[in-house]
Formats: sequence, structure tokens, C-alpha cells
Amino acid sequence: MQASRKRAYFWGVFVWLVGIVFALKFGSVADADTSLILQLRLPRVILASAMGMALAVSGATLQALFTNPLCEPYTLGISSGSAFGAVLGASVGVHWVFGGVTTTAFLGALIFAGILHAISLKRDGSALTLLLGGVMLGFLGSSLVAVWMALADPSGIQGALYWLLGDLSRARIEGATVLIGLALILSILIWRRSRELDALLMGEEGAQALGVDVGATRRKLIFLTSSLVALAVSGGGMVGFIGLIVPHFVRRNVGSLHRNVIPLSALWGAAGLCVADGVSRVAARPYEIPVGVVTALIGAPLFLWIMLKRERGTE
Amino acid sequence: MISGISVYGLSFRYPGSTTDVLSGVSLELDRGKVIALLGPNGCGKSTLLKIFAGITPGQHKVRISGGLLSELPAWRRAQRIAYVAPEFRSEFPMTAFEAVLLGRICQSAHAAALWGRKQEDEHAVIAAMTRTGCLGLRHRELQSLSGGERQLVALARALVQGAKILLLDEALSRMDLHHQALCGKLLRELVSEGFLIIVVAHDLNLACEWADECVVLLGGKLLAQGSVSETLTPERLRVLYPGAQLVISPSPATGVPKVFFGNTPEA
Repeated sequence: MQASRKRAYFWGVFVWLVGIVFALKFGSVADADTSLILQLRLPRVILASAMGMALAVSGATLQALFTNPLCEPYTLGISSGSAFGAVLGASVGVHWVFGGVTTTAFLGALIFAGILHAISLKRDGSALTLLLGGVMLGFLGSSLVAVWMALADPSGIQGALYWLLGDLSRARIEGATVLIGLALILSILIWRRSRELDALLMGEEGAQALGVDVGATRRKLIFLTSSLVALAVSGGGMVGFIGLIVPHFVRRNVGSLHRNVIPLSALWGAAGLCVADGVSRVAARPYEIPVGVVTALIGAPLFLWIMLKRERGTE
Repeated sequence: MISGISVYGLSFRYPGSTTDVLSGVSLELDRGKVIALLGPNGCGKSTLLKIFAGITPGQHKVRISGGLLSELPAWRRAQRIAYVAPEFRSEFPMTAFEAVLLGRICQSAHAAALWGRKQEDEHAVIAAMTRTGCLGLRHRELQSLSGGERQLVALARALVQGAKILLLDEALSRMDLHHQALCGKLLRELVSEGFLIIVVAHDLNLACEWADECVVLLGGKLLAQGSVSETLTPERLRVLYPGAQLVISPSPATGVPKVFFGNTPEA
């Protein structure tokens, strides 16, 4: 385990660096000068790293919270709730700056996460109920965003659709720097709760028997996770499946203790989204594919694969 | 004062249900004994155990060593009472060692404060796994273990909590005879160290073998409490398991009462 942990950190840093260099070097313009790189590509690399970190850490946390490896902000609809909050905030006058929009995005994420929490406590709280509830919340959030955008400005629809699929092109250096700082702080706050997260893997009763105050822990973690999702969504829209893919592979390699899972998810999330963003820019030059499409192309089949494997395992 | 667990007039129904799972149960259980909690399916055994463990919803007047259980914070409670559920598994990859390590969470109110005590925790885990005879499994994935092996790991996890009260819900049921015998011996050892162990078991013979006392529940009410030979009478077994014709006779080897199937009604 020790060796695999070191390997995971080493390769995580390596892939991240390669992703950064790649994303700085290549873009929709073939030979860019230094000012272009600093003004456009650098903020974008920072934003991608921050978002990747936030999404992967929130995915790992949600999986433990709901004791289900298929959970992540996107599949549970929390991203959609956050997106609706962001759009609402933007349309009532808080501009595309950090602060205003992030706050409404946070409220959106928190409300949707709260509804999910209530669903998980109601009835049997089974994985299926939870995931179906999440999918429906996702539809609801996305539709609300679309309605709002259409009402606000018909020409804004395309921009909204792009943003819904994940769009990092709005990155500015100030915003991106603040965002990565906040994502780091929130991730560390979650990391400090590693032992409680470990206990939650044994289910609600299991965690209670181990001496964890499950109700209070869940509330705190939902608050922290919603903040992370809000940061990611207000930074670059809805990017799915990073929160699913990254923790899944981290757990397979180093086991499920969150002492390792959280920092490695942060690292690999940052690395993964940097690479995915690089791919999204060069794959169809001079056009850009939304980065959310790239992650979904890898993530959706993976989701199905994990789901089928689980079905077999639980028979 | 009772050094173990006591409840007086305990009643319980699950939220949204209209029938009581337990009604008017009064028990005083001292430390230094293995108690077998017996009764037919659905008589409230597991619920009673969960109430003792403090993991059912609502406030219950369960006292341990005279103090109210519900007044203890969760981590303090887990230091005094360890509960082993019938199923011990997780959907997430985890080695047996890591699973036992979870039992150390209750050592501090702030789980973050445990980071500096890695070595101490690991020693405790190795000691507990050695004691339940599952140290050899420590690098194995929990998911890859058999039901009986997982139960050994679960028992080790309960031991590292450092609690003197162990609540075992069908916790030996999937072990082979070798491990059942080892764990039975372990339970006797623990009891001589002053533990109170409450075991829910469907296997009456196993219960007779290891228990000092039996507590029998029927329909959520306390039917009997006392030594094995006092509580397990032929009349009582007919009431508890009306579909089975059971015969009680002492074991030829140890003299402990044993329950056998008599003639089935068809025969």
C-alpha cells in the first residue's frame, strides 16, 4: 500500500505537470506569444486545476456520505442546482465575478444537496431511490437554467448551453487564483474529517456504532461539499464525471481510507481536468469542444461499467 | 448499581409503524457474563441490541453503569459499547486491516486528533486481530473474504474499540466449527476479564454452550431470564417454536443441555 500510494502521488504530479505544459503550449491558435499564454491560457489552467480538485474531492465525499460509489455532484444533480443558482444570481445583477454568483450557486447546490439528504433519509434510502432522485433533480436544474436563459435573452441560449456543458473560456487570472485557494482550503477541511468519512463507508448504522455522530457529520460535510460544487460550477459551468472517475481510480489503487483518498483525488482531479481541457481545445481545432463533453465521453461508460459490476456484486 | 446494562419498562416502535417491536422490557445485566438473547424471528432481539448500542432513533432510558446512555456523546458511547451487526461489508475497497482500524475512531472526540497516534492504533489493531485469529487476513480485501472470515474481522473491530460491553448480533453464525470454538473460548476469556457480552443467536446449542444466562423474548416481551437450564424448558420451547418438535437432552460430553429435533409433525 505504501508503494502504491507513493506511485499514485508521483504519477499524479507528473500527469498534472504534463497537462499544464500541454495546455499552455497548445490551444486554438497554433503559435501563441507570451502575452496570449499569460492572459488566456494560464488562468484557464489554474481554473481547470481548481475545478478538477473541487469536483473530485466533492465526488469522493458524496460517495462516502451516501455510501454509494456512483455518487458525484453531476449524477446527483447538485451541479444543476448550483448552475441554476448561478444563473439566477447573474440575471438579477450579480455579475460574472466571484462572490455574488458563487453565493447563489452555493445556495442552489445546498438546497439540492439538502433535498437529496432528505430523500436518502426517507423511505428505505436505497441507492436506486437516491440516484433516480438525483437524475430528476439534474433535469429540473438544467431545465430551470434553460428557461431562465431563454427568458432573459434569446441569443443567450447558445452561451447557456455551452456553459451547461462545461466551459472554461471565461477564466480570468484573479478569479481563478481565488478559486483554487478556496478549493484548497475546503478540501483540507474535508480532509480533516477523513476518519468520519471512513466510518460512513460502513453505512449509517455502522458509522453510528463506531462512535460517529452521523447527523452532525453529514450536515457539516454536505455544507462543505456544496461549497466546493458551487466554486466549480460558478468557475466553469457543469463538468460531469470527474467526481466519479477520479475517486474510483484512486480507491482502486490505494484503498478507501480518506486520509489518502481526499488528497489524491484533489491531485488527480486537477491533473485530469487540465488534460481534459487541453484535449477539448486541440481535438477539433480551431473549434473547441466543451470540456464537459470530453469528461462525459469517458465518464458515462465508466458509470455504466461500475453500475453493472455492482449489480453482480450485490446479488 | 448494575455494572452492565439496565433498562426498565422499555417500549419501542419504529417511526411510522403502529405496532410495538418491544413492550415493557425490564432487564438488569451485570458484567462478567455471556448473555444469550433468544427468541423466534421478529421477536425484537436485534432491535433490543441496537437500542443497547444506541443506534436506533429516539431517546431510550438505557443505563450503563448507572448513567444514561443517551447522555453520552457518540464517541464516548462507542468506547463503552461495541456492536457487531450480522452483516459486515462495504461496497468500497478496503483491506481487513483498514476495516479493523475503523474501530479506533472513537478514541477521540475530534477524529482529526487521531492522526498523531497512528502507531498506537496499529498496535491495537494487530493485537485484536491476533486475538480473534484473523491476523493472516490483514492484507486481504474485505470484499474477497468469506462470511465467516468477515465475522472474525468484525469481532476484531469491536475489540479495538476498547469497550467492555460487546453486543453481537448473529456474529458467530457463519463461522466454521473451528472458528466458532475459538471465538467461544475468546468470549469466555473476555468475560473473565470483566466483559459483558450479549449474543443474539438462532443456534440454541451454541448459545447453551457459551452462555451463562439466557434472555428469552417473545413478541417484544420478556418471556424468561435465567440460567440455561432454567430458561430452556420443553414447555417454553413449544411456545417459542410451535412448528418444531424439540427435545432437550444433556450433551453426552459436557452435560450441557442440548436441543434436538424430535419427530417432525409429518412423521
